[in-house]
Amino acid sequence: MEKQPETIMQIDDLHFAFTLRGQLLHVLRGITLDVYKGESLAIVGESGSGKSVLVKTLMGLNDGNGYVESGHILYEGKDLTTLKTDAEWRGIRGREIAMVLQDPMTSLNPLKTIGWQIQEAVELHQDLHGEEAKQAVYKILGEVGIADAPRRYKQYPHEFSGGMRQRVVIAVAVACRPKVLICDEPTTALDVTIQAQILGIIKEMQKKYGLTTIYITHDLGVVANVADRIAVMYAGDIVEVGRCEEVFYDPRHPYTWALLSSLPQLGVKGEPLYAIEGTPPNLFQEVKGDAFAPRNPGALKIDFVKRPPMLAVSPTHKARTWLLDPRAPQVNPPEHIRALREKGRALKLCEEEGTHA
Amino acid sequence: MTKYIIKRILHALITLGIVIAIVFVLLRQMPVEGYFNNFDKYTPAQISVGLQKLGLNDPIPVQIGHYFKQLLQGDLGTSNKYREGYPIAKIIAKKAPISIELGLISLVVALGVGLPMGIMMARSTRTKYKLWDKFGTVFIVVVQAVPSAVYHLLIQLYGSELLGVSMLFDMDKKITWILPIFSLAIGNIAYYAMWLRRYMVDESNKDYIRLARAKGVPAGKISRVHIFRNAIVPLVQYLPNSILFTLMGSLYVESLYSIPGMGGLLVQVIKLQDNTMVQALVLVYAGISVLGLLFGDLLMALVDPRISFTKKEGAR
Repeated sequence: MEKQPETIMQIDDLHFAFTLRGQLLHVLRGITLDVYKGESLAIVGESGSGKSVLVKTLMGLNDGNGYVESGHILYEGKDLTTLKTDAEWRGIRGREIAMVLQDPMTSLNPLKTIGWQIQEAVELHQDLHGEEAKQAVYKILGEVGIADAPRRYKQYPHEFSGGMRQRVVIAVAVACRPKVLICDEPTTALDVTIQAQILGIIKEMQKKYGLTTIYITHDLGVVANVADRIAVMYAGDIVEVGRCEEVFYDPRHPYTWALLSSLPQLGVKGEPLYAIEGTPPNLFQEVKGDAFAPRNPGALKIDFVKRPPMLAVSPTHKARTWLLDPRAPQVNPPEHIRALREKGRALKLCEEEGTHA
Repeated sequence: MTKYIIKRILHALITLGIVIAIVFVLLRQMPVEGYFNNFDKYTPAQISVGLQKLGLNDPIPVQIGHYFKQLLQGDLGTSNKYREGYPIAKIIAKKAPISIELGLISLVVALGVGLPMGIMMARSTRTKYKLWDKFGTVFIVVVQAVPSAVYHLLIQLYGSELLGVSMLFDMDKKITWILPIFSLAIGNIAYYAMWLRRYMVDESNKDYIRLARAKGVPAGKISRVHIFRNAIVPLVQYLPNSILFTLMGSLYVESLYSIPGMGGLLVQVIKLQDNTMVQALVLVYAGISVLGLLFGDLLMALVDPRISFTKKEGAR
C-alpha cells in the first residue's frame, strides 16, 4: 500500500433506487468510492445503511425492482451500470467478482454434494472438466482447510457444521478465480471461536490469489482485524473513508464518532453503554443536508440545509461533514473519541495497525 | 434402509388390520338384509339358517378371526348382492384395468402439462408483467373454485362437439378416450402447476440461488438444476399415491361417459348394502393409501439426501 495504489474499481456518484408499492426508495445516494487492487476494504454501517445493496449492485444481483438511477461503476475500464441482462453479467459474476454470503447454513444447495457445487464453479471459470476439475476441487478443499477431500467431496451440506460450510462457500468463491472477493458479513452467523479461523482463511486466499477483498460488516472487531481501509456508510451514503487507523483513531464524521462511541469496549464499567438517539432517515423521502444531522446533538445549522461535500483530511482520509470546512466552528468530538485519538498518537509511534481493544 | 422398510411394512399391516376390524364391526351393526337378495321372501327360519351358513351368528371376535384367515388365503370373499356369489376379486380385476389405464394416461398428461406450466409461471414472476403467472393463476383459480361437475359437463358438451365424437366412452375407439382423459387430468394440471410454481418461487428466493447466481451460473441452468430439482422434492411424495389411486377411478367422470371402471363402485355397493363388497373395497382403499404413503416416503429419501433412514455416521 506504500506505492501509489492501482485502482481496480471506481464507483462514481452512484444512485440506486427500488420501486416499492409505487414509491421510490433511494437506497444509495451518490456513492463515490475507489477500490484499490489487492487491498481489503471494509464497508461498515448499521442495518439498512445500504451496504448490501451496494455490493449487490457491483454484481447485478439486486432484485428486479431495483435500478441504477445515475452514476457509474468502472471496473477495469468497463462500466458495470450498462450491463443489463444475465448474459451480459455472466462475464463479471464469479469470473471477476465473487461473493461469500452471510449465512453458510443457507447459502449451499442442500441437495447437491459440496464437491458438485465447487466443481460447478471450477467448470464454469477454470475451463477444467471431468477428472481434472475434480482434482482442482480436492486442491481447493485442502486450501480452505477441509481435510480428507475425496470423502468430503461426496458429502452434502447438512453433513457439515456452520464453520465448515463457510469454508466451502469460500472454496466456491475462490474456485471462480475472481479478482475481487466480496464478503457480505462472512462471520456474522458464526460462532465467535470460528470467526477468526474464517477470517484467517479469507486473508490467506487473498494473499495466495492476489484478491482484492471487500468486507461488509457491522462488526468493528472484524474490521480492525482485516481491513486496510474503511468506508463508513450511513443512510445510503459514504460518510467517511480512510485507512483503518485513520478512521479508528482520528474519525471526523459525527456518525463515525457515534458509531465508535457505541463500541462496548470503549464504555466505562458501571455506566450505561452509549447508544445513538433516534432512527435513520426515511429513504422514501428526499434527505436534505447531512443525513445524520437529526440524530447529531452537535449538528450545525447548515447540516440541515445543504449536503456536505467530501472533504479531505489527508490524501487517504476523507469525510462528508461540514466540520472539515475551514469556516466551520471548532466542534470537539466526544470524550471517547478524544481518548481514542490520544491512544492512536501513542500507538502510531510503534506502527501498530488496528486494534483489538 | 431394508430394516426401515420392513418396519414400515409391519406398521402398514397393523394399520390395515385395525381399519379392517373397525369397518367389520361397524358393518355388523347394519341390518342383516344386506346379506340376502329378496330378503322379504325369506321366512325367519330360512334367514337364521342363512346367517348360520355365513357364520354371522358367531361372536364378532370369532367372525373377525375367520375374516382375517380368509384374507390371508388371498380371498376377498364373494359378493352378496352386486353379483350374488361372484368372487369380489374377479369383479375388481375386470373393472380396475380400464380405470387404471385412463388414470395413468391422465396422470402423465397432468404432469406433462402441469409441471411445465408451473415452471413457466415461476420463471415469469421475475419478469416485468408476469404474464404467464397471471394467466396460469387465473386458470388455477377457475379450476379450483368452479365445482368440478360444471367443467366436466362443459368439457363433455363442447368437447364432443368440437372433436365430433360421441359423448360416451367406447373402449375400442381411441378418440373417445380424449375427453375423459382431459377431464381427469385438468384438476391435476392445476394442482401440479400451483404447487410447483409455489415451491419454485420459494426456492428461487433462497440464499443458495443467490450464491449460484453470484458464481455466474447461467439463469437457465439455475432454473433447471437448482430450483426445479429442489422444488420437485415435496411433490414427489404424493406421486405414488396419485398413481395408486387411479385404480379407484373417478366416480363422476366415469359415470358421465359411462365408462365401465371402478369409479362409483363403492358408492354403488354401499347403496345396495352389499356388506362383503363394502368391506373388500374399503380394504383396497386403505391398502392403497398406506402403500402410497410408504412409497412416497421412500421416493422422498431417494431424491433428498437429507432424509436418511439409517443412523447418521461420521457427520458433524
